[in-house]
Amino acid sequence: MKPLSEEEVRHALRDWVRRRSAVEVPETFDDHTPLITNRYLTSLQVADLLLYVEELRGESLDPASLRPGVFRDIDTIYTTFIGGGA
Amino acid sequence: MTRAGTLTGVPGLAWSDDGQATLGGPLLELAERLDRRFVALARGWEAAEVRFPPCIAAADLERIDYFRSFPHLATFPVCLDAGEDNIGRFTGGAPVGPDGHVTLTDLAPVVAVLTPAACYHLYAHHRGQRFDGAAYFTTRATCFRRETHYLPLERQWSFAMREIVCLGTSGETRAFLDRATSEVDALAIELGLPLAWAPATDPFFRPSRNPKYLMQQVDPTKHELVFDDGLAVASTNLHHDHFGRAFDITRAAHPGDAPQPVHSACVAFGIERWLATVVRHLGPDPGDWPPVGP
Repeated sequence: MKPLSEEEVRHALRDWVRRRSAVEVPETFDDHTPLITNRYLTSLQVADLLLYVEELRGESLDPASLRPGVFRDIDTIYTTFIGGGA
Repeated sequence: MTRAGTLTGVPGLAWSDDGQATLGGPLLELAERLDRRFVALARGWEAAEVRFPPCIAAADLERIDYFRSFPHLATFPVCLDAGEDNIGRFTGGAPVGPDGHVTLTDLAPVVAVLTPAACYHLYAHHRGQRFDGAAYFTTRATCFRRETHYLPLERQWSFAMREIVCLGTSGETRAFLDRATSEVDALAIELGLPLAWAPATDPFFRPSRNPKYLMQQVDPTKHELVFDDGLAVASTNLHHDHFGRAFDITRAAHPGDAPQPVHSACVAFGIERWLATVVRHLGPDPGDWPPVGP
């Protein structure tokens, strides 16, 4: 299967947040919008997001290796786990 | 004095191996002065003092998923089933064996838990309420946490916890914690205690399987004020809207806005642990302890 481009991965992450957020995500939502501060991402979704990130990057992540701030926004998620090859 | 060894020979301290301390004399006086000092901090926010009963409804803790997160810490108050035959069987046997274990007969349904954290009562107490501005409260409770081992003043089954709680918007709760952190820092300096803040996580049961633990890793919402790299004497905790959602407590950010689940934050003080820090750092002689003014 052809690997997704950076924009396709970012779009997929934005789409995931829009679908799974317990609160309404505004039209202005972009890759730098804080996910946790705005409550688009809570403990209810964080484990599923981790699984989704693993699916997008094609390899598993050790939950114990997660560091503060890595789920701050879409840009940080992409840079940390996919673009940056963490 | 370092943290090596168990605190013994402290004037006014009597220790029971089941993890409970009895305080008297200068040690009790210091505990009360420290608590008054914490209350004086709370007055800086005009926090309303509330005193709750020692038990909290299990149904209220279930709303915040307590029993999946911290089941190993819970202490349940149990009562005998009220039937006369049942109570007769209890009294007819040996109620307490030589090992100190109670031989229970049938039990009434367990519906409560001995308070595990002072502030939980506040959220249950304010369920369904709407706030139009930031609200501040302070409460003190004897808290119960079952642990694998106990140490006098440092790790106890029952201990005194003073909390200051903010209910407000996200910004108000963050501002509260910023100010609380700086005021507690000033207090530590005033008392001459070498304390430092460090990020922390709550002691979840099977943490690697708990999404709340995962969340605390990526979004540190708990910081502990630690003595000698180990003993946490206070903590600040940002709950986001966890309790607001669980108990339908709401807050409109601006007049005319739709009310949203309230955010909350707290600063908690473990009173016996402050005593332990004073004794370890300054010694067991009350003459060397700091004057703790209101």
